Amino acid sequence: MKKLSAASKAYLVLIFVILYAPIFYLIFYSFNSGGNMNNFESFTLEHYKAVFADSRLIVILINTVIVALLSGLIATVIGTLGAIGIVSIKDKKMRNTLLSLNNVLIVSPDVVIGASFLILFTMVGVKLGFASVLVSHVAFSVPIVVLMVLPKLLEMNTSLLDAARDLGATKRDVLTRVILPYIAPGIFAGFFMALTYSLDDFAVTFFVTGNGFSTLSVEIYSMARAGISLTVNAISGLVFAVTLIIVIGYYFISKRTKSNAAEGQR
Amino acid sequence: MRDLVKATIAIIIVCALLFVVADQMQSKGSAGSKDTLTIFNWGEYIDPELIDKFEEETGIKVTYETFDSNEAMMTKIEQGGSAYDIAVPSEYTIESMKEKDLLIPIDHKLVPNLVNINGDFLDLSFDKGNEYSIPYFWGTVGIVYNPNLIEDHLTFESWEDLWDPSLKGKLFLVDSSREVIGMGLNSIGHSLNVKDDVLLSEATDKLISLTPNVKAIIGDEITPLMVKNEAAVALTWSGQAADMLWENEELDFATPYEGSNIFFDNMVIPKTSKNVAGAHKFINFMLDPENAAQNADYVGYSSPNEAAWALLDEEVINDERFYPTHEQREKLEVYENLGLEWLGKYNEHFLEFKMSLR
Repeated sequence: MKKLSAASKAYLVLIFVILYAPIFYLIFYSFNSGGNMNNFESFTLEHYKAVFADSRLIVILINTVIVALLSGLIATVIGTLGAIGIVSIKDKKMRNTLLSLNNVLIVSPDVVIGASFLILFTMVGVKLGFASVLVSHVAFSVPIVVLMVLPKLLEMNTSLLDAARDLGATKRDVLTRVILPYIAPGIFAGFFMALTYSLDDFAVTFFVTGNGFSTLSVEIYSMARAGISLTVNAISGLVFAVTLIIVIGYYFISKRTKSNAAEGQR
Repeated sequence: MRDLVKATIAIIIVCALLFVVADQMQSKGSAGSKDTLTIFNWGEYIDPELIDKFEEETGIKVTYETFDSNEAMMTKIEQGGSAYDIAVPSEYTIESMKEKDLLIPIDHKLVPNLVNINGDFLDLSFDKGNEYSIPYFWGTVGIVYNPNLIEDHLTFESWEDLWDPSLKGKLFLVDSSREVIGMGLNSIGHSLNVKDDVLLSEATDKLISLTPNVKAIIGDEITPLMVKNEAAVALTWSGQAADMLWENEELDFATPYEGSNIFFDNMVIPKTSKNVAGAHKFINFMLDPENAAQNADYVGYSSPNEAAWALLDEEVINDERFYPTHEQREKLEVYENLGLEWLGKYNEHFLEFKMSLR
C-alpha cells in the first residue's frame, strides 16, 4: 500500500474526530456529578448506578441485546440460504428481479415497514411483544444479509464447485465444505450488519413493541421528551461499550479465519 | 464451517443466559403473583420508586411502557395487539378516544382518593363528571426568557411583548400548530378554540408580523439552548420551562394575562384493559397525597392534587408561575377537539406562517 500523504492523513483524522466527538462528549458527561451537560463538576458513577438500580431499564437493555443477537442469527441463516438460492438461479431475468425485490426492501422507509407489520400482526392476532419484535427485526435484516453475502458468492470461482463434484462430493458436502467456508467472511459481515441494524432500529420497533416488551431505542426516544438526562448518557455509554466488545470480537474472529485459511494452504 | 457452527452455538448460549437473567429480574419482588398491570405513559413521567411501592402494596406486577406523543399512543391502543390497563393522554385526545369508544368508564366508588383533587381540575369540558378520566398532571403554555439577554422592560405579562423590536431574531417557537396559532389568537384577544376563518386569518396576519423576531421554530432542542444561555426567549410548556429553570436559575417564566392554554394529562382505562380492578387500584394509589407529592417532585409538572400541595416544598407550591392562582387560571383555556376540518385549517394557517419566515 502506498503511504498516505500528510494532507490525507490529516483529513482522515479530522473525519474520525468529527464522527467520534459527539459520542465521547456524551460519555464524558455521563461521569458528571453536576446533573447536566453544561459544566463538568466532578467525577461520579451515580448515573451508572441509577441505570443498574432501575431493573426495568436493565431488562430493556438485555431484551435489546437478545433481540439483536437472535434476529441477527436467524436473518443470517435465511439470508445466506437466500443468497445461495439467488445465485444458483440460471435465468438472468429472474435473478435480477429477485435482487431488485431484495433491494426494494432495503430502501423502503422503516415507518412504512413498521406500520404494515403492526397491521399484519393485529390482523392475524399475534400478541405484540417479544415474538413480533423478533420477527420484524429478522424481516428487515434478511435483505441486508443477502446483500453482504452475495459479493462473496459471485467472486467464487465456479470451477471450484465442479472440482469438488468431480472428486465425489455430494451436494451436502459441496455446501458445507466448499461454499460455506468460502463465503464465511461475508456471512459474519452480514451477521454484524444485522446486529447493528437491530440495535438501533426505532421506527419499526416502535410499532411492534407491546405487553411490557420494549427495546432501548424506543425507551430512549420517549425519555428524551423530558430532555436528555445523564441516565441516557450512561446507557449510551454502556451500549457503546457493548458495541466495542462486539467489534473487537469480530476482529479476532476474522483474524482467526484468515490464519486458518493460511494454515489450510500450507 | 466449524467457525460458523461454533459462533452459532455461542450466540444461542449467550441468548439463553441473558434470557434467564432478564426473567429473574422481571419476576423479582413479585414472585408468584399472576396479577399484572400494563401502564402506558409518557417518557420520564413517573417516579420509578412509585411503581415498586405499588407492586409491594398490592402484589400486582407492573409492566410499564412509554410513548412520546398522544397520536402514537392512540394508534397503538386503537390497533389493539397490546393490552394496556392505564394510559395518560392529554385532554383533546381523551375527547377523541371517547368518540372512538376506546375507553372504559371509571367507577368512582373504587377511587375514594379523588376527593384530594382540587375542584378546578374536575368536571372539565373534555370529560364532564370525570366519567372516563382522572387528573394526573397539568400545565400551561407560556414564555420562558433570560432577563440577562433582553431589555429590562420586557416582562411578558402580555403577549404583545413578543412583538417588541428589541427581540429581533431572538425568539424560539415550539413547532406545534395549536400552540402557535393559539398564541396568535390569544394575542388579539380571541379564544384559542375559535372556528372562524376571519379570526384565524387575523391571527395569522398578526403572527406574520412577528416573523422578524422569530429565530427558529423547533422542538425539544429549546431546553438545552435556553439552559446554555444560547437563546433569549421561547414559547414553551410550563413543565418544560420548570426543567429549564431547574437547570439554569437565571431564567424566568411567564404566562401572559390575555390568556393561554392550560393542559391536563389524565389517567384513563382503555377498552383493551384486562385488569380493570387493578387499574382502579393504581389510579387510587396515584391520587394518594403522599404518592402524588413524590411524583410531582420527581417529574416537575404541576400536580392537581390539593392534598399533596401541603406536602410539597412551599417555594414550589407558592410559585405562581407554575401554580397560578384560581383567578389566573380563569383566563386559561383548554384545547377543545376541533375536529378534522378545523384542525386541518389550523395546520394550514400554521404552515402559511412558517412559509412567511425569511
